Amino acid sequence: MNWPILSLTLFMPLIGAIIIMTLHREREQAIKYVAAGATLVSLILSLVVAIGYDRSLGGIQFVESIPWTADLGVTYALGVDGISIPLLLLTTLIGFSAVYASWNISERVKEFFSLLLILITGVMGTFLTTDLFIFFLFYEVVVIPIYLMVIMWGSSKRVTKEYAGMKLTIYLLIGSAFLLVGLIALFVQSMAVNGAPSMDLMTLAQTEFSQSFQVFVFALMAFGFGTLLSMFPFHAWSPDGYAGAPTAVSMIHAGVLKKIGGYGLIRIGIMILPAGAQVIAPIIAVLALGNVIYAAFICLSQKDLKYIVGYSSVSHMGYVLIGIAALNLVSINGAVIMMFAHGVMAALFFAMIGNLYEKSHTRNVDDFGGLAHQMPRLATGFMIAGLASLGLPGMVNFIGEFTIFVGAFSSFKVLTIIAVSGIIFTALYILRTLGNVLFGPRKEKWDHLQDLKGPEMVPLLVLGAAIIIGGIMPFTLMDLINNGVGSLISQAGLMQIGGIL
Amino acid sequence: MLSDYSTIGIFLMLTLAFPLAAMGMAWAVRPKPKCKPDDEKLLPYECGVDTIGRTWSRFKVNYFLYALVFLAFDVETIFLFPWAVKFSQLGLFAFVEMLLFIGILLIGLWYAWKEGALEWH
Amino acid sequence: MQISMLAPEIEIALLGLLLLVLGLLLPHKGRGIMGTVTFLGLVIALLLSAAGFGQEEALFNGVYQADSYGSFFKLLFILAGLLVVLSGSAYIQRLGRRANEFYSFLVFALLGMVVMAAAGELITLYIGLELMTISFYILTAYLLNNELSVEAGLKYLILGAISSAVLLFGISLVYAVSGTTVISEIAGHMQFQPAMVAGIILMIAGFAFKLSLVPFHMWAPDIYQGAPIPVTAFLAVGSKAAAFAAFVRVFMLALPLPQFEWGLVLAVLAACTIILGNLVALVQTDIKRLLAYSSIAQAGYILVGMVAGNEYGLKGVLFYAMLYVFSNLGAFAVATAVEVETGSTSIEAFKALGKRSPMLAAIMTVCLLSLAGIPPLAGFVGKFYLFSGAIGAGYLWLAFVGLLMSMVSVYYYLMVAKAMYIGTNDDMTPIKPDTSTRVALWICLAATVLIGVYPAPLSALAQTAIQLF
Repeated sequence: MNWPILSLTLFMPLIGAIIIMTLHREREQAIKYVAAGATLVSLILSLVVAIGYDRSLGGIQFVESIPWTADLGVTYALGVDGISIPLLLLTTLIGFSAVYASWNISERVKEFFSLLLILITGVMGTFLTTDLFIFFLFYEVVVIPIYLMVIMWGSSKRVTKEYAGMKLTIYLLIGSAFLLVGLIALFVQSMAVNGAPSMDLMTLAQTEFSQSFQVFVFALMAFGFGTLLSMFPFHAWSPDGYAGAPTAVSMIHAGVLKKIGGYGLIRIGIMILPAGAQVIAPIIAVLALGNVIYAAFICLSQKDLKYIVGYSSVSHMGYVLIGIAALNLVSINGAVIMMFAHGVMAALFFAMIGNLYEKSHTRNVDDFGGLAHQMPRLATGFMIAGLASLGLPGMVNFIGEFTIFVGAFSSFKVLTIIAVSGIIFTALYILRTLGNVLFGPRKEKWDHLQDLKGPEMVPLLVLGAAIIIGGIMPFTLMDLINNGVGSLISQAGLMQIGGIL
Repeated sequence: MLSDYSTIGIFLMLTLAFPLAAMGMAWAVRPKPKCKPDDEKLLPYECGVDTIGRTWSRFKVNYFLYALVFLAFDVETIFLFPWAVKFSQLGLFAFVEMLLFIGILLIGLWYAWKEGALEWH
Repeated sequence: MQISMLAPEIEIALLGLLLLVLGLLLPHKGRGIMGTVTFLGLVIALLLSAAGFGQEEALFNGVYQADSYGSFFKLLFILAGLLVVLSGSAYIQRLGRRANEFYSFLVFALLGMVVMAAAGELITLYIGLELMTISFYILTAYLLNNELSVEAGLKYLILGAISSAVLLFGISLVYAVSGTTVISEIAGHMQFQPAMVAGIILMIAGFAFKLSLVPFHMWAPDIYQGAPIPVTAFLAVGSKAAAFAAFVRVFMLALPLPQFEWGLVLAVLAACTIILGNLVALVQTDIKRLLAYSSIAQAGYILVGMVAGNEYGLKGVLFYAMLYVFSNLGAFAVATAVEVETGSTSIEAFKALGKRSPMLAAIMTVCLLSLAGIPPLAGFVGKFYLFSGAIGAGYLWLAFVGLLMSMVSVYYYLMVAKAMYIGTNDDMTPIKPDTSTRVALWICLAATVLIGVYPAPLSALAQTAIQLF
């Protein structure tokens, strides 16, 4: 591969943002087409990467490497393996859908789409780079556009959008402050051990750190990434943040941004600091149980659609955390596929809710009923997302949950059994919500609502297809992930358990 | 080692004690007032002329400008004197240097003049 | 010894005199060119000092050092001066008749900074310091009809004089023990004596005053608020960097004392400064005061690098001081443009700036976020160097304090962003800054982003400059 396909994928949205900045603010249609075009190119390129990845060879491929800052050991290094490809696909899928989900934005269109595209670039960068410094660079890039987008285009319902935006920002930044201390400590320590500065993940992974140092840094990372992943009890920003955010931000945030937390824990935490991971993992597992059960109970009492999905995403992240904490091949496979599955599901859910809210100006479950009469296509979207959320076989989420539980059972027996019960609560609140919103007698007052049409269909088609294809043909992703996780685990020297499915 | 710090401690104590002692001494040896101080007693000078008007009146700013201009040229002589004494050994370089120095001062004088610092309005 | 090594200094001194004379000679109408003359003169000075970068020579028996370290700071001061002149010209023009002296004081203050950074001896350092501060006393009180400005000038004069006296006393004690004032020779005559310890502590206090480190920071907010805004900008950036340049040179070269860990003293000062500066900034409603407290906190971050005292820490000091010029002056340039337009410096005046002038709002946001240390902007890389140094030197707790508080600082920076983007304002006329301000703004923006994305050139420059230690 001679031409830098990953750089192109990564910077396509940014180039789009720059083009948009040069356009006149009145040319709203042109701005939207540029945004759609840029994300489409990214999506196609990422599919090319996923197909072109040589599974028999494994490891990190499509490598690009340019020395960047010598004294910090920073290299502009991009590369993908079996863990990052699904998440890259997730980002481009959701990015493309998010542009269409915001098609009806009419206020400050220019600023909105430039910020959205910058945000997509930031998220994608974290999954593509193999350099710790560049990773953190992209990791924090995403926070500020989100704040600006929430306060400018968000909605104030239960909490004001200013409050929601600031809460989200401060939570994530405090988390990242601890993370940054950990990263700097890692950098300084590796320099002391290796004698030369390096930020390369593989070099760091091969460096011998003492156990106490590993535990210390892993604890910082668990806090930093855990906050981003809305780990209990640091999850409070997440439902408020989603409720205040505009649709596209909710989609990207719930869909991809949270996954950076999980990805970071696997890629940086477990790979570089396996001994630390073994000490901290049980604590993470217990907290994850808090996610699963506590958030599910809160969901049962919510009336606002965005809060229901917000808390349900906190609950689902509990599964991902358990999968990571179990520290074996199967469970981490499950965690990765669960991240992908939850991403597309949550994005679809938020796209549908956003569309409904835009037309009806309410998100209260009690106000709705029988919407399947007026809006059959929207109802289809809701059903796909809802059924995926409760883990119906045939949807990609089922694959994730099942794999996680199989893997986790060998590490934590009692805990896994309790966590499985979370599925029951999920089914309870999801089915109740779907029933109250979509089914039942036709309500006259919603007769004026238009069903999805034109650009509004894109999120439903793209994300719905991803959920079902992933569910029916899990091997498309599973081989890839197994390949990536397998080499990571052998790298980290953790025990291997069994094959797969 | 620590005892070395005692010098500083003693020095500190002395500096504190000295002004206190001076004031205390003045208080002790002064003639004790027999009665309550009257208006005469509270005058700023027991002999001399009483002040007329407010004592906190402002001085004309020109006094200060003169003083500053004077100071600049006063300090200049301090540099000029040793230069003149050793002039024959110093050579051309020092001559040019001194010209530059005086030149800069002259620009200052010119500036002060032009801005009206030398006029008494 | 070659006199050509002093070319930048001589050029700056001549420029200051030229401006003074031009003000006398030119008719009132012709004084519009003063800004242009200053600009051109500073560009020449910039080129001269860039050409001299990399030389290492001691002049006048070590009294004056023409080295990379000094040259780095020279470049920094001249750049800061250029940006202040560019962004402040519209403001200075409003001063009317006295605008010409304003430029010449600015240039003399700059000369003082340059001397401070390159001084190889304590008395020379002190002369540079006084040249700089006396120019600033006058500049601070420049708005004669404004009570705040006059009060600020007087306060600065009195407190500045006290702090100079403290510093001078410290210098005299160090001289008393070591018997020399040449920085490179003091270390050889170092003795652990009570007088030496007292001298070091007094010098720390003197420098801490100049750097407005907590608990010596009380003067800063009032003076920053009262002074004309270009002066505030130059004071916050230039005078602080100059004090750091001298502080680091003196303490790292002359005063290493194994029996007395002044590093720990500085670490405590840095932590207090970072915490207090950021916390008090949270409640400010005036942009000048907000930036004043934020610049107190920034001085704390830079001090972290000096506390560490290793390669990364010192490189961080230089790196951060340089990026601080661009980020802080960018923010000040926007504040100046807003003040010229609205006559107010309260955060209220920034409301709806996102609609009145999207460019100003965007640059303000970027510069403030760089100060907060958000990647991929320059401030992040600077903090990375500083805290790598601190952790490497074993000050883990300081890194925790610094990074946590820098995230807290995002809150008040974002409050400004919030006012700009969702506030509503009765006056919605677009703000159009003049060309020179726009040039300054674009330079600040470009530098802030470029240094953040590609730090290698600046870090190489800083690496050369710290070879001295």
